[in-house]
Amino acid sequence: MLDAEARVRGAVRYAVDLELPDMLIAKVLRSSIPHGRIIRLDASEAETTPGVAAVLTAADFDQPGGPSLMYGANIPDQPVVARDRVNYVGEPVAVVAAQDNASAETALAAVRVEYEEETAVYDPLEASAKGAPALHADHPDNRFVHGKLRQGDVQAGFDAADELIEETFTSPLAQQASLEPHTAVAQWTDGMLNVWTGAQAPYTVRGVLAEIFGIPPEGVRIIVPNLGGGYGGKGHVRIEPLVAAVAWKATGRPVRLTLSRAEEFVTVTKHAAVITIKTGVKRDGTLTARQVTLYWGAGAYADASPGLIRASVPRSVGPYRIPAVRVDAYGIYTNLPPAAAYRGAMSSQCTWAYESHTDTIARRLGMDPLEFRRQNMLRSGEQYCTGETMHDVHFVECLEAAVEGLGWKEPLDRGAGPVRHGRGMAVMLKSSIARSKSECRLVLDTDGILTVYTSTVEMGQGAHTALAQIAAEAVALPLAHVRVVGPDTAITPYDATTSASRSTNMMGTAVLDAAGRLKDRLRQIAAPILEVEAEALSVERGEIFDDSEPESRMSYGEALERSGLDSIEVTGMHATQGGLDPETGQGVATPHWHQGAGACEVEVDIETGKVRVLRFHAASFAGRVVNPSLARLQNDGNVIFGMGPALLEEMVFDQGQLLNPNLSDYMLPSLSDAPEEMGSRLLESSAGEFHGIGEMTLPPVAPAIANAVFDAVGVRIRELPITAERVLRALKGGEGG
Amino acid sequence: MTVDFLRPTSIPEVIEALTGAGDEGKLIAGGTALALMLRHRLIVPSILISLDRVEGLSGIWSSAHEIRIGAMTRLREVEISAEVRSAFPALAAACGEVGNMRVRNQGTLGGNLAEADYASDPPTILLALGALLRAVSTAGERLIPVADFFQGFYTTALAQDEILAEVIIPRGSATTRMAYTKYRSRSSEDRPCAAVAAVANLNDGICTDLHLAVGAACEVPRRLAEVEALAEARALTEKLIHEIADGYAEAIETLEDLRGSSWYRTEMIRVFVRRALVEVRSGRR
Amino acid sequence: MIEFRVNGEVHALDADPARPLLEVLRDELGLRSVREGCGIGVCGACAILVDGRAISSCLTLAGQAEGMDILTVEGLSEEGALHPVQQAYLDRAAFQCAYCTPGFILATVALLKEAPSPDEATVRAHLAGNLCRCGSYRNILEAVRAAASG
Repeated sequence: MLDAEARVRGAVRYAVDLELPDMLIAKVLRSSIPHGRIIRLDASEAETTPGVAAVLTAADFDQPGGPSLMYGANIPDQPVVARDRVNYVGEPVAVVAAQDNASAETALAAVRVEYEEETAVYDPLEASAKGAPALHADHPDNRFVHGKLRQGDVQAGFDAADELIEETFTSPLAQQASLEPHTAVAQWTDGMLNVWTGAQAPYTVRGVLAEIFGIPPEGVRIIVPNLGGGYGGKGHVRIEPLVAAVAWKATGRPVRLTLSRAEEFVTVTKHAAVITIKTGVKRDGTLTARQVTLYWGAGAYADASPGLIRASVPRSVGPYRIPAVRVDAYGIYTNLPPAAAYRGAMSSQCTWAYESHTDTIARRLGMDPLEFRRQNMLRSGEQYCTGETMHDVHFVECLEAAVEGLGWKEPLDRGAGPVRHGRGMAVMLKSSIARSKSECRLVLDTDGILTVYTSTVEMGQGAHTALAQIAAEAVALPLAHVRVVGPDTAITPYDATTSASRSTNMMGTAVLDAAGRLKDRLRQIAAPILEVEAEALSVERGEIFDDSEPESRMSYGEALERSGLDSIEVTGMHATQGGLDPETGQGVATPHWHQGAGACEVEVDIETGKVRVLRFHAASFAGRVVNPSLARLQNDGNVIFGMGPALLEEMVFDQGQLLNPNLSDYMLPSLSDAPEEMGSRLLESSAGEFHGIGEMTLPPVAPAIANAVFDAVGVRIRELPITAERVLRALKGGEGG
Repeated sequence: MTVDFLRPTSIPEVIEALTGAGDEGKLIAGGTALALMLRHRLIVPSILISLDRVEGLSGIWSSAHEIRIGAMTRLREVEISAEVRSAFPALAAACGEVGNMRVRNQGTLGGNLAEADYASDPPTILLALGALLRAVSTAGERLIPVADFFQGFYTTALAQDEILAEVIIPRGSATTRMAYTKYRSRSSEDRPCAAVAAVANLNDGICTDLHLAVGAACEVPRRLAEVEALAEARALTEKLIHEIADGYAEAIETLEDLRGSSWYRTEMIRVFVRRALVEVRSGRR
Repeated sequence: MIEFRVNGEVHALDADPARPLLEVLRDELGLRSVREGCGIGVCGACAILVDGRAISSCLTLAGQAEGMDILTVEGLSEEGALHPVQQAYLDRAAFQCAYCTPGFILATVALLKEAPSPDEATVRAHLAGNLCRCGSYRNILEAVRAAASG
């Protein structure tokens, strides 16, 4: 990575490190009930607490010249702070800005709130059932989005099948849990709102804040430093409205809000899911039809869910040849913290379902899981259930690479004693974002230094390094001559978001676009100096020269100087179109498909039910790999990350109260949980486009493990995480496949 | 209004400071548990009395019939002590299972016992080893058997003005065998689901004086004398081992948390009592 | 006044003795490599070395720092040159977002001080209490092995 040395020196600065003169500390008062009315809110005592500069409540909103209370990326159903109702434990009710932690806490304790509790609902099936309490008046059945796909005649497909297999899988609420908590600093200066925040989508934050405060987007400046992890949890908009609003009340002084670990858990989550998947198959292994019904527990507010739940539709079917498909994906309000993007968003839960299900089908037919997949995986040129033609897909190769790494053909002694062994695999597809845009600006100066201005966010994935490498190669400069600046919406142009593994592809292509223009400009300014036609000039290795007169050459810097220019500036852009018909799910789901696979060997202790992953081999299709070392880290990182939701991670609630809001009770994978042996294969096609690799080897982890557990001990676990107790209960209950 | 931080250098000074501070005072040993309680505002003392400068509270002293460990001895020190490893390998192992390396570097044996965290490792093995705890107060000194020390969740027999000075562990004989197993149902860094400490004499395969304690699955670590008696003067056969394991599983009321339901913990007691006895029987020290 | 040594320099601070040492190191001494990740001593991002041994600064009170000899990553490099452990992490790309990296580096320094040629079990004992959410464990273990043999 470009700043690798700073990383090992501990010199990287995150949002949590930002200190501004006269800075106030913000603290948030949060709802202690999961659902109900606020019947009394009195902040007067808090306002007069020594050291307090401002107290923000709903009363400060919807006043002339003041901020609007309601906002939302899709549906504006979320208040910055609660007004008359609260919809989850932890929902912000008031914010205090004070000199220091101590006065902020004293003030918080002095805010008087009284609630009238109402029945709450937590499970997405229960919440969408008749009689469940409605969280929002305009969605009486708590169903606020319905993503659909209809292709072919599913009933006919089921009728033609020899076997019909139906299973329901669940995935609980979990958390992105980046080690660096959410932090934002906001300051109003001369009517301009400046926000420093660890956010993955600076332009989205800018847009939402501009709307809340009724100012033009240019009146809001978002600056994003390095993130200490994001994984989707810092996507869209999080704590920025809270901080910006209390800073607005604190007139001029900067205010910082850093969430505690407990607050992290009630700020953003991974969607809970109940997925029912029914498949028709012929005895020879041909799939005839598939029906998938997904109930997504989205939490109390729509937030980013409408887009994510619609995106879950093409992600829910699997990379398989199926002539008739029906998908219904429902977004359901529940009295829990809002769910949003998560690494491998929606695919993590979907792949859990369809890849576990794939093994069930194979076993039912008496077919080897690998053979069954080989027979049915889509190849390039084939059509997917969205009607689009798959191009540049290598599901087969990814899976083969993973299982080969594991040694699938080698005999495995499954054991006969208390410890059993088993192997499993999984392959997945994930769509990126169909319609999005990325822009960049390249500036070359007289020292021959190239600066890439980008709103792509660096969160450890090496995005800035990859972009610098792309730029360096495209502009033919050494990497040491390239700097990356941003995000800062005042100076870096638009980028949709750093998520969905889109950045190397989208921003990388924008950089290539700009680089091409930059080289053209260099030819244009050098042409009159070298007295040659611009088209006759080559631009290579920091120099511009005439092919037929190689001695006639000059460096980029020289060309600028001799043209009387301080710098050359060009912009670049890449945008993709697409989208799916909301009724049929037909269209273009993604500019290209993300592909990943995993294969593992596990050990199951049949006396305790405990599962240990001994070996895990992952493979992903990376297209054109920019940085092999960073790509391997992504693959590895995804597998380790995936151990969490597969085996360890689950947010556990009691009457809407989170029982494990800390890292001792909510378990993240430790070094000792990592498989002893890990393999990573990156399938490349050097002439191809850049492919995202930020998520690909994560969704296969959980189903590969569950499939290996089945192989070892013959029990099928359909709920995540695959805990020892679940396995033991299944073993004792005699539950088979 | 900052806190007073006192650093007495002798036990009488500590006791004086403690009694003087009354409800406003809290002892601080390694500090890990106290820091957590302060952060969560479970306590708001205005006087903190540190034990880290008190003479004679830290150290491991060995004699022919016992080993004494000062209350302020860091868990890491107990873990790597050659004396402890030789005399009580299961105690060294148990101390090496506490938390993580950083907790073991900072936390003390006495602090760990005084906190009486039900999931903690040292209490269970010390119960099985028949350790005695020397407590000092204005009234003088007393020796508290570990069996009487743990009284409930985070509750010990220590009086308000009493401090734990030393842990005294009587040596076994050349035929003493012991084992400590800690079962974590989730990550390797998790708090335990169940833990078993077993200490016995094994003479030509005949077991005498079995002390077996179960911890982490219940409110306080438990020994069951009537079940231990089943092993007296008998060979540890598979059948007997199962009987003892079932005895513990049936008698202990297990708690329920994220690491396991009550049912699961009962099953784990059954499994790990068995495994501990198998290890003791194998003769590995 | 609390007097202690950090990275070779003696400091005398008028701090609330009940304040977490983590805050004092970050806010009063500007040592930003020491970070909060969990607040309960589980993640290791706040790790510091005291007399060569790692402890969690989030679980240490400022008052306890009296007389301590503390090392943070800022104090590792001699005249700007990277410490061999830092170099090993750099060479093996043993990080991604790097929020956890200072904690891992200090844990490795402590490990190698105690056991210059550690076996796998000893490596795990020292490093298992440091969490990396980005999942760089494989490269971290390679960096540790390289630093041990180097």
